[in-house]
Amino acid sequence: MAVPHPMPHSFVMECPKGGSRNERPLLSVVDDDRSVRESLPDLIRECGFAAQVFSSAEDFLSSSSIDETSCLILDIAMPGITGPEVQQELKRRGQEIPIIFITGQRDETIRTLMVEQGAAGFLFKPFSDADLLAAIKTALNSV
Amino acid sequence: METSITAGPLLSLAVTVTSEQHVESVLRKIVEGLASLPGVALVRIWLLPSVHIPHAWQEGANSQDAIKHLRLVASAGNPIRSPGEDWSSLQGRFSRFPLNIGKVGQVAADRRPIFVKDFAPQDTWVVRPEWAEREEIRSFVGHPLVFQEKLLGVVGLFSRRTLDEQEFTWLGLFANHSAVAIANARAFEEVAERQKGEAEVRVLASGLEAKIRRLVEANVVGIVMFTLEGAITEANDAFLQMVQYSREDLATGRVVWMDLTPAEWRPRDEQAITELQTTGIFRPFEKEYFRKDGSRVPVLLGGALFEASGNAGVAFSVDLSEQKQAERALRRSEAFLAEGQRLGQIGSYSWRVATGEITWSEQLYRIYEFEIGVPLTLDLIRTRVHPEDLTLYEKMVEQARNGEKDFEWHYRLLMPDQSIKYLHAVAHVTRDQNGQLEYIAAVQDVTLRRLSEEARDKARSELAHGARVMSLGTLAASIAHEINQPLSGIVTNAGTCQRMLAAAPPNVDGALETARRTIRDANRASEVITRLRALFSRKETAAESMDLNEVTREVIALSLSGLQRNQMVVQAELAEHLPPVMGDRVQLQQVILNLLRNAADAMSTIDDRPRELLIRTERAEGNQVQLSVKDAGVGFAPEAADQIFEGFYTTKADGMGIGLSISRSIIETHHGRLWATQNRGAGSTFSFVIPCALERVADAETRVNRSGTSADAA
Repeated sequence: MAVPHPMPHSFVMECPKGGSRNERPLLSVVDDDRSVRESLPDLIRECGFAAQVFSSAEDFLSSSSIDETSCLILDIAMPGITGPEVQQELKRRGQEIPIIFITGQRDETIRTLMVEQGAAGFLFKPFSDADLLAAIKTALNSV
Repeated sequence: METSITAGPLLSLAVTVTSEQHVESVLRKIVEGLASLPGVALVRIWLLPSVHIPHAWQEGANSQDAIKHLRLVASAGNPIRSPGEDWSSLQGRFSRFPLNIGKVGQVAADRRPIFVKDFAPQDTWVVRPEWAEREEIRSFVGHPLVFQEKLLGVVGLFSRRTLDEQEFTWLGLFANHSAVAIANARAFEEVAERQKGEAEVRVLASGLEAKIRRLVEANVVGIVMFTLEGAITEANDAFLQMVQYSREDLATGRVVWMDLTPAEWRPRDEQAITELQTTGIFRPFEKEYFRKDGSRVPVLLGGALFEASGNAGVAFSVDLSEQKQAERALRRSEAFLAEGQRLGQIGSYSWRVATGEITWSEQLYRIYEFEIGVPLTLDLIRTRVHPEDLTLYEKMVEQARNGEKDFEWHYRLLMPDQSIKYLHAVAHVTRDQNGQLEYIAAVQDVTLRRLSEEARDKARSELAHGARVMSLGTLAASIAHEINQPLSGIVTNAGTCQRMLAAAPPNVDGALETARRTIRDANRASEVITRLRALFSRKETAAESMDLNEVTREVIALSLSGLQRNQMVVQAELAEHLPPVMGDRVQLQQVILNLLRNAADAMSTIDDRPRELLIRTERAEGNQVQLSVKDAGVGFAPEAADQIFEGFYTTKADGMGIGLSISRSIIETHHGRLWATQNRGAGSTFSFVIPCALERVADAETRVNRSGTSADAA
C-alpha cells in the first residue's frame, strides 16, 4: 500500500526528553476502535504527556506528527494497514519510534511475535492505567 | 736458357710453394714449376688417399682400394710429339699405382728414391716404351714425399736430358721440401675445415638460439639460468622485474635462489631439485618469491637441466599475482553471497533432473538443518517435508520433471524438534552445459513472515466489517475481542476519572466527561452481546452488497490451516471483476464453510490421489454469480443427488456446522439455487448461484437489520 512519505529515508527519529508541545513527550494513538480513541487521550494527558489520536494507520503514516511522536500506542488488528505493518513501514523509513502494541485478542503467540519483532511494550485490552503508564515509561526509556 | 736444373729456380719454387695454404695449389705449383725446368718432359705427383683426394676423384673414392693405392693427384708436362694429349690430366692408366708396382710403387714401398739416369726403351719396367721413345725421355727421378716419417706419396719426373747426380740431389732436397709444403697446406686446410665446421654449427646454433632468445627477450615470462647450488647466473628483464632486483644485483651475484624463497617453500624446492636430478626436469609448481623489498609474489615455476647429469639449467617463472587476486576476489564474492544468503535466510540449490544431481548452498543446509555437505537425495529432503505437505511436494517434483517451466511453491518443513518452518521456493528452469534440464532455485525461510501474516489474517478476517464466521473456539475469542474494546474504554475512563478527581484542584468537569464515556461504552458492550446473539438466529438477516470473492477468501483464510492439516491441496480460481451480490455475509460464509467441510470429509479416506479441493467463482447466466466447490473424494450415487440435501442424510455435527439442508434454505432465501454434480473423474462438485446485486428485487419478506453501532473504523 503506497503511503505518502514526506521524510528522507536516512532520517532517524530522536526521542526528546521533553516533547515539542510544552516540553511534554507526544504519544500518538492509532486504533480503529472508538472506545479506545475516546478514552485513551485523556488518560495519557492526565499522566503528564501530550496525546494525539488517529483512527487508521494510513492517517497516522501520512500525518506530520510522526516526527514529533515520542512513543506510539498501536492497535494490532485494524482494517487496511495493520499494526505490525505500521511497524515495518516505520522501520523501512528509518524512524525508530518505540511502539506499544495493544490488542483485544488474547493470544500469547501474537505477544511473543510482536516482542520478538522489537515491540517496546505489549498490552491486552482492557489494561489498567498503571500498566499503561509503566509501559509508556519503559518505552520512552528504551530510546 | 738454362741447360740444367740448378738450385736457384728450385729455391724460388720452393718459396712459392711454401706460402700456399691449399694442397691442390701446392701440388699444381710443384708439378708446373718442375715441368718448366729445362729438359723436363713430365712431372707427376701421386699421394696416398689418406693424405689427399683430389676433387676429381672424390666421387669414385673407394676406401678399400685407397689403402693399397697411390693416387695421381697432379700432373704437368710438355708433350712434343703427342698432339691432343693433355698431360695435366689425372685420368689414364697411371692414375692409380698399387704399391710396389712399377718404379713409382717401388719408391713408395721402399721409401727410397730411384734415379734412372739413362734408360733404354728395352728396360722391362717401362710400361709404354713407345711413349718414352716418341717423347725422347732419357731420365727418370722418383722421390718419396715423406713428412715426419710418414709417407705422403711420390713425385716422379721424366726428363729429356740426361740428368746428373747433382740435379738428382737438388731434386731430392726439393722433394723433401715439397713434402713439408704439402703437409703444411693440408694442416691449414684441416684447420680451415674445422673452423668452417665450427662456423656452420655456430650459425645453425645461432639460428635456433636466436629463435629461443626471442622468447627470453619478449619478456612474456621470466627466464633464468641457474645452478643446482642455487646461483642464478642469467635472467631476463621479466624475471628481474618480478623480483625487483637490478641487473647489477644479478651481475654481482646477489640474486640467489635461497634468498628468493620463503622458508616454508624450501621443502618444495628440495622436491624440485630431486626431480631435476632424477629426471632432468622439474614440472611446473606454484610457490612464492620474496621480492628485494621483502614483499611476496606468487609464481609458477618449471625448468630443466642442460645436461642430464649436469649442474646447470634453465627455468621459466610466471607471475601469478593477477590470478591470485582474481581467486581472492572470487572467494570474497562467494563469501558475500554466503553471508547474504545467511542474512536473508535464503538458500539456493540446483537440480539436474536427468541425473538427479542436487547441489545446495550452505544456507539451504542450515535451513533444513542438515549437516553441511551431506549427500543429497529427494528421499532425504522428504524426511524434512511436513507430512501434510508431502503430497504437495510430490506434485511439485512431478511437475518439475515433466513441465519445463519456472515454478513457485510454498510448503512447510517439520523439524526434528517438531517446530515448523515455512518455505517459499522459486525455481527457474534452464539447461546445463550438456543441454540437460536443470532447475536453479532460491528457497527462503519465511516462517516469521508467515506467522505474522497468519496472525494478521486471522485478526483481520475475524474483525472484517463486523461480519464473522467462526468455529466455536474462534467465536469465543472474537466475542472476547469485541467486548474488550468497550470494556477497555470503561477501564481507561475509570482510571482517568480517579486521577482527575485526585488532582489538586480536582478536575470535576473532566471526571464527568469520563463518566459519560463510561456509560456509552457500557451500552456498546451490551450491543455487542445483542449482535452476537443474532448470529445464532436464522430469523434476522443482514442484507448488504458484497463481493463474493472477498467473502470466499475470508472463509478460505480461516479454514486453510485446518484443511492443510488434513492434507488437502486447496486451489482457488476466483473470477476477476465478479459483480457484487446482495446478501447476508455471515450466512453465505456459513454455506461456503459448510461446502468446504463436506469436501474435506469426502476426501478424508482418500489415499491414492492428491486431496485436491478447488473453489471457483464465475459469472453465470441470468445475471448471477456462481460458486463451486469441487473435491476428489468418494462422491455420491447419482440417484442420491437430491437426497443429500434432505435433512439427516449425513449427520456430521460440528459445533456451528449447519448441514446441507440449511445451506440450501439459506441460498433459496437469497433467491439462488444449490445443487451437486458428480465429476467426470473422482469426487463431486457442489455449486450455488445467487443473483447479482443490481438485479435484486426488494423483497418484503427479507428484513434488514443493520447493526448500526459497530466498533469499527469510521
